[in-house]
Amino acid sequence: MLDFAVYSITIIAVWSILALSLNIQFGMTGLVNFGQILPFALGAYAAGIAASLGYPWWIGALAGLIAAPLIALLVIMPAQRLAQDYWALITLGAAEIFRLTVLNTPALTGGADGLIVPRIIDPVLAMTVAVAVLIVTFLLAQRISSSPYGRMLRVVREDEILASTLGRSPIRYQASVSVIAWMMAAAAGVTYAHITGYVAPSSFTVTETFIIWTAVILGGPGRNIGVIFGAAIIQLLGVSSRFIAQWIDLPPDLIANLRLASFGLVLVLMFLYRPQGLIPEAKQVHDAERD
Amino acid sequence: MIQVLVNSVVYASEIAIIAVGVSLCYSILRFANFAHIQFAVVGGYLTYSFATIPGLALPLPLAMLASAVMTGLMAILIDILVFSRLRNTSAEGKMIVSWGVALFIRSIVAAIYGGSARVFDVPSSTIVVGDAVFTTLDVIIACATLVLMVALHLFLYRTRIGSGLRALASNQELAVTRGIPGDRLIRLMWFLSGSLAAIGGSLIAIQTRLQPSMDLVIMLPIFAAVTIGGLSNVFGAVVGALILSLAQNFLIWIDFGTLFFGDPWHIPTKFRDYVAVLALVLVLLLRSRSSAAAAKR
Repeated sequence: MLDFAVYSITIIAVWSILALSLNIQFGMTGLVNFGQILPFALGAYAAGIAASLGYPWWIGALAGLIAAPLIALLVIMPAQRLAQDYWALITLGAAEIFRLTVLNTPALTGGADGLIVPRIIDPVLAMTVAVAVLIVTFLLAQRISSSPYGRMLRVVREDEILASTLGRSPIRYQASVSVIAWMMAAAAGVTYAHITGYVAPSSFTVTETFIIWTAVILGGPGRNIGVIFGAAIIQLLGVSSRFIAQWIDLPPDLIANLRLASFGLVLVLMFLYRPQGLIPEAKQVHDAERD
Repeated sequence: MIQVLVNSVVYASEIAIIAVGVSLCYSILRFANFAHIQFAVVGGYLTYSFATIPGLALPLPLAMLASAVMTGLMAILIDILVFSRLRNTSAEGKMIVSWGVALFIRSIVAAIYGGSARVFDVPSSTIVVGDAVFTTLDVIIACATLVLMVALHLFLYRTRIGSGLRALASNQELAVTRGIPGDRLIRLMWFLSGSLAAIGGSLIAIQTRLQPSMDLVIMLPIFAAVTIGGLSNVFGAVVGALILSLAQNFLIWIDFGTLFFGDPWHIPTKFRDYVAVLALVLVLLLRSRSSAAAAKR
């Protein structure tokens, strides 16, 4: 039972980092990233490739934290002067390209078989690491949310033209927030790789991106504590459905599919009945004189 | 050479039938509907069921027709349950919801049919023209697409209902004010795009195989084709599919090695999908320039 709690907290922590990362992009800034799994995969593969080449873990972590923001800038470039739906397509395409590249370069990335990464054997230590990364990410996200920078991100979300008339360039805000968000997700990826001890392209598909989306929409876009709550519910639903499967003896892939179907349903129902999420974004009032 | 052209036309046909539905939806409701890809998958599975369930075992064309009608009705049902209630939500919101719908449909299909691949047992003979080899199935696919696209064109441009749909696409409020029954026509649009997707999905399934994961294989080419054609332009999507397909097949066919280094070397076939994404990004980059230029004028 205790093992199960440790495992659940570890998984929830990793997915909460991803949810926070998507939250500062979508919830605060309004960027629709349909390739959120890409920076996560970049981090995980940086750890995996570094390990397979015999480098220590921190080289992999560093490589992931450098690669992710660079790719973020590359991907956000075409987003300049483009409607949101186009950026969604580009990020979706970029994530798929990465997955295809991994599948087609077995010499470096292990192809479909994946890579072995040194695993943190002690589950309590693994949990501590994951929670520590989560706390750092959360504090950073909170800091952004309450800063003047965060307020400007919200202006960009609500009205890009208004942001421009205030003398701020929306694309700069979108680019900088993407860089921060992608570094967060890459950190989650590095952590994930060392916790599971294994990275493979099948863990980084479009479906995973939408598990993150479901968590953010469920918890409350724009609210950091909300999206952690959302990620916790979604992941608890995930791990508990495995238990139920053992109990009532249903085939595991049937359960896996029903689980994903329920995530899809949650996403749709939230949009229909409670688009602000379970813990909505609080209205902020600022007095320019006193601030 | 002829072989490459034949392959391109067949592939473009399959993509185009599905892609026009995405454009139809975008032109009227102004959002990229990612659930559309699942209509194609559902259509493929329904055709398979109608054609193989013992006691029913419809002949394949009839099975496809039945599947098209069912998928069209499913699209209307989804509109009634979900999208019609979100008419005032932002385009991004609708796009995200369409992913939720897609995830739901995809998982239900996989739960019912399982993940393993199914193959249609269709007899087809090979035809040899010059040095090109293709099958009677290829010819049927290309002809079916041609007929459907001409029919769609006649419908949109030669009938009153078609003009109504185009009016909705160009200015919804004005069209409704002028007495065009907006809601009913939107339902009709869903039916059309759903059933076209079902036929496209069935054709792809018949030619290759049926699997719940086929959505990931066709998603990028379809959205690339739609984007090349300009998202809301229905027949632009057909041209987009053709351009994309030609680019993919020719890039693989051209012997870059002999051209540049002297030794024969081809781009491996597995890099086909890269062309789709590259085309997508390229078009978006060029488009953002031109639209920015247009805005300055």
